[in-house]
Amino acid sequence: MELVTMVSKTEEAQVNRLENQVDNGGGGAWEYLCLVRKLKLRRSDKVLKHGLSILNDPTKRSSLGPEEWTLYEQVAIAAMDCQCLDVAKDCIKVLQKKFPESKRVGRLEAMLLEAKGLWAEAEKAYSSLLEDNPLDQVIHKRRAAMAKAQGHLLGAIEWLNKYLEIFMADHDAWRELAEIYVSLQMYKQAAFCYEELILSQPTNPLYHLAYADVLYTLGGLENLQTAKKYYASAIDLTGGKNTRALYGICLCTFGIGQLTKGRNKDDKETSELQSLAVTALEKDYKQTAPGNLSLLSSTLRSLKLSS
Amino acid sequence: MGLGFVVGVLGVLILSHAAYSTIQYRSLLKITEEEFSGPPMNVVVELILGLGFCMWAALTVPGKFRSIVPYSDDNRVVSLPANMDFMIFNHRGKAFPLDVDMKLK
Repeated sequence: MELVTMVSKTEEAQVNRLENQVDNGGGGAWEYLCLVRKLKLRRSDKVLKHGLSILNDPTKRSSLGPEEWTLYEQVAIAAMDCQCLDVAKDCIKVLQKKFPESKRVGRLEAMLLEAKGLWAEAEKAYSSLLEDNPLDQVIHKRRAAMAKAQGHLLGAIEWLNKYLEIFMADHDAWRELAEIYVSLQMYKQAAFCYEELILSQPTNPLYHLAYADVLYTLGGLENLQTAKKYYASAIDLTGGKNTRALYGICLCTFGIGQLTKGRNKDDKETSELQSLAVTALEKDYKQTAPGNLSLLSSTLRSLKLSS
Repeated sequence: MGLGFVVGVLGVLILSHAAYSTIQYRSLLKITEEEFSGPPMNVVVELILGLGFCMWAALTVPGKFRSIVPYSDDNRVVSLPANMDFMIFNHRGKAFPLDVDMKLK
């Protein structure tokens, strides 16, 4: 199982600074590419541009040592993502020459077929790769992705469910499944997936937030109350720096108020939480976007949360 | 770094001196045939100073502490990684081709 990668605030700032530096010709392209790979970011256009500039410079390329091949792979995938299929083909050809028997290169070739839209051929390539190694997780995932790329979302769900029966601990797959369910408005199923994700990574505020969003969308008094609790835990884990969670608290309070029409038992606690959220929002807007403060107050007024 | 290291070395030296003084004091007690009632004042002072210096050096020399609170900038998750295993190429980026001169030489 691979390591859990999450992009923290510091790392985000670091990668943006490096990207800026590389874009302005300040050097550090290789560090940037390593960081993008480590954090699993999808910045294909930049990776393609800066990766090619390294690969096309023989001295720079040979100074990488064995990392050179990793870079070929990274650039090949980025090129497919940018529809620069010639570049992808050339990169894969180089890798094929170096590692003639490699399954990993075989996977890249199949992905190139996908990028060309030759679904049947890609499927054939993946099945033959699976025959050699039936438990190759990445290939199982590619099949689900392929169904999604062709627009068969239900097919993708089916592949993912089959996959998750075997590899239950794969949180990336759970997340993909959750996102597909949300896009199909199957919120109950999506909520189940987010529960799994919260169980596997309880300290990640973004899963709490997504779960709360799904519950809020489902509606109903009980769901709104649970959603509010999860928004509150997202606030707890982010130290109140997540605006969406703060808004979530406000909207849940409003929704609960609408549904109960004043017959609220735990009124005091509710009003306290909501007024804290409103204060935090106002403070945040004053600091970062003073121009939009009037917009915020009119929104809150329409939610009857402030006078 | 330099200052912390010097202070650390000084602390270790003071501690070793305290040990040396203790040994000397014990042999002095044997010669004068007195009972041991407690360590001499200079050893106690040296021990306290040595402890302080060594502790300060140990806390500053190896580097900065990393935060353990979940909402510090080091730990706060602001975005999830792109789910690269499920990446699809059939997206609207197709309609916006990049510069044509990209080529692997």
